[in-house]
Amino acid sequence: MTPGIAIADAIVPLFGVAMVVSPAITRPTLQFGVRVPPEQAGTPVIREARRAYQWRTAVVAVVATAAAFGSWGHGSAWLPRVILILEIAAGVACYQLARRKVRAVKASGDWFAGRRQTVVADTSWRADPARFPVWWLVPALAVIVATVVARLVIGHPPAHVPLAGFAVVIEQVWLTGVWTGMLRLVYRSRPDLDTADPAASLRRYRALLDTYTKAALVFVALFDVSMLLLGLQRWGVYHLTGGAVIVLLLPILAGLILFFAVAFRAGRRAWATGSRPSAATDRDDDRFWKGGLIYVNHDDPAVLVGARFGVGWTPNFGNRVTWLLAGGYVAILAGLIVLLTTVGL
Amino acid sequence: MLLSIEPDGPVPIYQQIRDRIVEAIAAGELPAGSGLPATRQLGVDLGVNFHTVNKAYDLLRQEGLLRIGRKSGAVVRRDAYSGPPDPGWEQDWAGRLRTLLAEATAQGLDPAAVVRQCQATVAEFGRAAAEGEAG
Repeated sequence: MTPGIAIADAIVPLFGVAMVVSPAITRPTLQFGVRVPPEQAGTPVIREARRAYQWRTAVVAVVATAAAFGSWGHGSAWLPRVILILEIAAGVACYQLARRKVRAVKASGDWFAGRRQTVVADTSWRADPARFPVWWLVPALAVIVATVVARLVIGHPPAHVPLAGFAVVIEQVWLTGVWTGMLRLVYRSRPDLDTADPAASLRRYRALLDTYTKAALVFVALFDVSMLLLGLQRWGVYHLTGGAVIVLLLPILAGLILFFAVAFRAGRRAWATGSRPSAATDRDDDRFWKGGLIYVNHDDPAVLVGARFGVGWTPNFGNRVTWLLAGGYVAILAGLIVLLTTVGL
Repeated sequence: MLLSIEPDGPVPIYQQIRDRIVEAIAAGELPAGSGLPATRQLGVDLGVNFHTVNKAYDLLRQEGLLRIGRKSGAVVRRDAYSGPPDPGWEQDWAGRLRTLLAEATAQGLDPAAVVRQCQATVAEFGRAAAEGEAG
């Protein structure tokens, strides 16, 4: 078993759980990508759609997990990845089924007719911006330094390949850099404010952002630890084979589970809205969300916006900067893959 | 300050942004000297083009309510406690007020009710501004 297969195998059940619980951590005025007024969030049709979605995704998750673990140790290296892709596709299909139902009931009830639809900004968000917890990056950086030191101490890289043996370090720097960059971008993006109670929702958003970022940075540090353990194996400090390889990946798995658990808890708190009666309601912005998941709004200068489903952020594909960043990301990733495979680090 | 707009409403967005800022200055929420977010940031926060925000800020600058500096950004230039308005301003404002009062008259609103409404609004701004000053 290779580490890649083990990771894909482990992500199948985790993704399954995330899929099933996502409606519970999405704000109540967004039901399967459809904007609904607060008082309609508990409508029987929506509750029914949620129940049906949860049952369907639970079945998908169980079947996919059984398939992933059933094929453990035999079959092609691509099998777990194919199972994961099929699981994601089935999840999206369940989401679309539920979305169709909610859209139909919203259209038939004309829920936004005659309502004052507003967007609200709190200028204190820019005057007193949330601070990125820089110190939480220290563990990840320390692990990277430790990995470099370990490589230099344990063996002498061949002189003709100056970066020999440093593949794991490149992977650490890449993942740490990408996550840090994304999180910094999130800090510059707009908070998801609730029109009915903007001040309280901004406070909750700040708390969510802080918890989410710290959990993500802990995950990054644990990923780097796994890379260090993999490096030590490659450099011959120990030699684990077969199922024992899993041990090297335990930090990544622990990090992923921790990250999911913290995001779930933070998400539940973030949208714990008081049902304050309000004349204004959030803007009906369904038309900018393709398939209820992908945000395309050419008039919006934001690069990242709050995700429509679950807890997180998603790019605005209507913004040129998003495409530039995505292009840069793919170019660097392709460069690294070429470097790692052709130079043979 | 909370800035709320209706992006799909009949009033142009730049006008809405301008109106909300004027109201916040009158209510003492934005006293003279307080800074406003950069146009790009406010554009992101409201999900509108930053040219739209620029237009609102420029309008407020022309009206003498904002000062826009290269380094300081947009800063509130005056408020209720900054003394009388610039010369000529009142005449311009009276013209706009005339239109607003014509609307009320055309819609058949009782003149006494119009005066009451005006007094209540001015008193509300005065109270809020005094509280803001005291706080």
